[in-house]
Amino acid sequence: MSIHSFLSMVQDLPLSAAVRGDDPDMVWAFPIIETLHIFALSTVFGSIALLDMRLLGWLSVNNPVSKLARGTLPVTWTAWGCAAVTGSLLFMSKATTYAGNLQFQLKFVMMGLAALNMLVFHFGPYRHVDSWDSAQTPPTSARFAGALSLALWTAVIFFGRWTGFTT
Amino acid sequence: MFRPFAKWLSMTPLSVWFQSHAWVVPISQSIHIVCVCLLFTSALTINVRLLRHRAGGRSLSDLTGTLLPVMWWCLAGLAFTGVLQTITEPVRQFVTPMFWAKMLMIVIVAIMTLAFAGKVRANAPRWDDTSQRPKGARAFAIVTSLLWISIVICGRFIGYTWSFYT
Repeated sequence: MSIHSFLSMVQDLPLSAAVRGDDPDMVWAFPIIETLHIFALSTVFGSIALLDMRLLGWLSVNNPVSKLARGTLPVTWTAWGCAAVTGSLLFMSKATTYAGNLQFQLKFVMMGLAALNMLVFHFGPYRHVDSWDSAQTPPTSARFAGALSLALWTAVIFFGRWTGFTT
Repeated sequence: MFRPFAKWLSMTPLSVWFQSHAWVVPISQSIHIVCVCLLFTSALTINVRLLRHRAGGRSLSDLTGTLLPVMWWCLAGLAFTGVLQTITEPVRQFVTPMFWAKMLMIVIVAIMTLAFAGKVRANAPRWDDTSQRPKGARAFAIVTSLLWISIVICGRFIGYTWSFYT
């Protein structure tokens, strides 16, 4: 089965048709799911951004990085899960269209790079967080990771919004 | 009622210039969303802290000292991009009740947040004392959370409802 025929099959599922609003009684399904997606992505970006700004030494500088991270990351991951579920439903409604859309593809490239940045940070500078946890200005490597994270997640939002204008 | 003004605004040179450059609305909306994310998360962080007041943790005055300036800057960014979007597509904004409901709720929640900020500034030790939640704190947290959620919903549904009124 080719990728295109798989995506067509997904798009033809009853669930996909329901989200798409083929049935007049379900015409508000897409807007509602999209709004839930917005709440989830707001929490993902907002929580990551506040932590990144700590890494940059801009905000919450009198609070240890590890303590902020411990409080923030469970929220971020939960919100990301919700965004993934709602995003998957939205994707299914027009799978072939979204999959072939450049902005949609770039959104996931940016997310992949953000994930890579996060891994490099956690297995790199964060392994030695005890030595700079309470520093108002974290080391250069941590600040770089924070700046890159902010830039990449902002790009995710830009490409996500741009997808709506090009599909 | 605002339709003649919206039509006039859509024919001004600035609006025409914005309309003829397709990148204006997507970029403005994207910046708008970035500001929504930061403001919404900051507001909810403060409100969850107020609702879990006795659980302690970071002092409330320290949290509000950090997050309230973020919220005000984001509100300024939202106002700027919102005005830009309204100049570009005035009819779209003005015809739907979702826009007006959103504006009213923003005014209400901004006033409530200003009042809250003043109270915390005036008596930080009282707000940092986790043995007892200050009077009105729980109501503020619940009401403003509902307002912020409603504002986001109305904002999104401007795009889905404006065509019903033209």
